[in-house]
Amino acid sequence: MSWTLFLLLVKASGLTVAISAIAIVIGLTLGMVVSAGMLSPNLLLSMPSRVFVSFFRGVPLLVQLLLIYNLLPLLGLNVPSVVAAVAGLSLCTAAYQAENLRGGFLSVPRGVVEAADMAGFRPFQLFWRIRVPIAFKLTLPALVSEAIMILKSSSLVSVVGVVELTRMAQDLASSTYKPLDLYAAAGGLYLAINWLMAGLGRLLERRLRWGRA
Amino acid sequence: MTFDLGFIAQHLPEVIEAAGTTLMIWAAGAFCGLALGFLVALGRRYGPAPLAVLLGVIVELLRGTPFLVQLFLLYFGGPFIGLSLDPIPAGVLGLTCYAAAYYSEILRAGFDGVPAGHVEAAACVGFSGWQTIRRIILPEMAVLVMPALVNMTILLLKETAVLSIITVPELTMVTSAIGSESYAFVEALFLLALFYWVMVEICGHLGRFAELRLARTGLVAR
Amino acid sequence: MIAAVSVTGLVKRFGQAEVLRGIDLEVPAGRVTCLIGPSGSGKSTLLRCLAFLEEATEGAILIGGEPLGFAVTPDGRRTRLPSGRIRAVRSQIGMVFQHFNLWPHMTALGNVSEALKTVRRLGRSEADDRAMAQLRKVGLQNRANLYPSQLSGGQQQRVAIARALALEPKIMLFDEPTSSLDPELTGEVLNVMRALAADGMTMVVVSHEIGFAASVGHQIAFLDHGQLLLRGTPQEVFRKPRHARLDQFLDTYLDRGAAMLL
Ligand SMILES: Nc1ncnc2c1ncn2[C@@H]1O[C@H](COP(=O)(O)OP(=O)(O)OP(=O)(O)O)[C@@H](O)[C@H]1O
Ligand SMILES: [Mg+2]
Repeated sequence: MSWTLFLLLVKASGLTVAISAIAIVIGLTLGMVVSAGMLSPNLLLSMPSRVFVSFFRGVPLLVQLLLIYNLLPLLGLNVPSVVAAVAGLSLCTAAYQAENLRGGFLSVPRGVVEAADMAGFRPFQLFWRIRVPIAFKLTLPALVSEAIMILKSSSLVSVVGVVELTRMAQDLASSTYKPLDLYAAAGGLYLAINWLMAGLGRLLERRLRWGRA
Repeated sequence: MTFDLGFIAQHLPEVIEAAGTTLMIWAAGAFCGLALGFLVALGRRYGPAPLAVLLGVIVELLRGTPFLVQLFLLYFGGPFIGLSLDPIPAGVLGLTCYAAAYYSEILRAGFDGVPAGHVEAAACVGFSGWQTIRRIILPEMAVLVMPALVNMTILLLKETAVLSIITVPELTMVTSAIGSESYAFVEALFLLALFYWVMVEICGHLGRFAELRLARTGLVAR
Repeated sequence: MIAAVSVTGLVKRFGQAEVLRGIDLEVPAGRVTCLIGPSGSGKSTLLRCLAFLEEATEGAILIGGEPLGFAVTPDGRRTRLPSGRIRAVRSQIGMVFQHFNLWPHMTALGNVSEALKTVRRLGRSEADDRAMAQLRKVGLQNRANLYPSQLSGGQQQRVAIARALALEPKIMLFDEPTSSLDPELTGEVLNVMRALAADGMTMVVVSHEIGFAASVGHQIAFLDHGQLLLRGTPQEVFRKPRHARLDQFLDTYLDRGAAMLL
């Protein structure tokens, strides 16, 4: 396979990384809110959160993407397919992250929260200064594997016409009749990004050791 | 948008057949994947070092790349190395390999989760290697890995939708095809989503029920 | 003189179970009150009610004359106070827990200065200076940048005491502060508490350290099955002949040697 082809793939993987990164950030933020909603004693908050999580975890991402991509124009929102793709990925990962974080929030020791309560923290200070850092650290391994999952799932946005890594490989494969080389190269690039993300995750984990060996 | 579901009634037989295909492919992928995954886990845990390393690399490749890319490689790349498969066999093979990689990791963690003392105890009372695996390791492991296996199997059901991209006539492909020719694409997608959602919820509940039953056998030390 | 804490008719129920059955207690300012009693008698629950970590089912608690949590009208009805007033009254109370409950993601210094920054809105350098001064008081100035996981149990508990003291409470509550420490580490924590008592801090201490209670406590309260059976100076409470339940408690909860000393 020629360098030019490979460079095209590398360029397309930039879009793959960008789409995944944005989806991860949006998904994590939304997931935090949704998981807080799931844990709320208020049924008006917890029920919709639970349904949200159940739906987006229960439906294949491909179907979600097709649905969002085709639904948005019907609702009068004519957005580029990249936006629909990012929206779909974000919603899906938010559901998984919410479920992960829910477990994390439940594992924050009660006494640690009570200590903050005694120190006069207001609820939102307690949430952001105490609960979130501890829950985040507890769930970090799961959050990282979910981020890697999203990277791999981002290949599905090729079906709504976003020319990211998989779609680029597909286009080049059909024009050059070299599917073996191109898909193998694309797979290699996914692996590389994957390792990069895992490395970043380990770095983050080391930063959040909080003195433990 | 008018939400007209009449089109589905006209095509009910096709949809039911496609749903059957989805379930068949899922069952085949899960069953073969689990069997293959078990062999891989055995090979990595107890096999000779070169085999273990080779299997490890393959598993890493399968777990590190998108399922869709694997399918493309198999379906479009396969003919170039003399492996021309129809969509359904290609789909089942792809799903099996993909599933085997993940199942093998779960099972390997399960092997590691069985306390070494139990295995040593079995050796002491004269169990052979295979007897130890069958009578000690497997039952203890089953309880440990059950939740992860259930999860993965449910995930696999959702992955079958990806097979539509290589034109496997499963539910996603057939339903969206009917939807677009009846000008009811979004309605079709809604029904599709509903089908998967209900299936996943049912399987999730069955899985938890099975875990509870397994836990009640007393095998679980909790 | 107004009592630092005054409890009247305190009842606490968890569902059906009545854990506190009408407690009346006065905690004099500047003195050490020790709560003793068998396991499950309700000591922690009483202390947690004083901290408003647990809401009493009936009865009233006054902190320096101010109602805590609920206002009781003359006809006996209780209304919940607005959260601002609850917070103001609670800010006079510091609490030290059996399991330290330090924030794992902050250093010793961070644990002590955090509330000064987020709650008291002090600038970073002033908060750190004050936190450092508190750490010096408990003898940990050279451990300031270590995380809780890098400290011994005794050191963690001293950080927890410094964290509570940094907010300048009028009353300090201790729930079995040495119970989860190895015996050789209890001394350092008890010494910090002794110094605090000598400084005139109002303290309520739940402890199985009867020696500490007898030597440092000004007032001993003996709790049994959710009722305050005895209350008085150590001399009055421990003097023989003793109340039968107390005798039984001391017999089972102390080794005989220690019981003989009292
Ligand atoms: N949140 C709760 N829900 C239900 N019951 C509770 C709760 N907290 C405490 N109890 C019960 O209240 C009783 C008193 O508990 P408490 O912790 O106050 O005892 P204690 O005197 O501190 O005992 P120990 O010396 O073991 O710490 C116990 O029977 C306990 O089971
Ligand atoms: Mg207690």
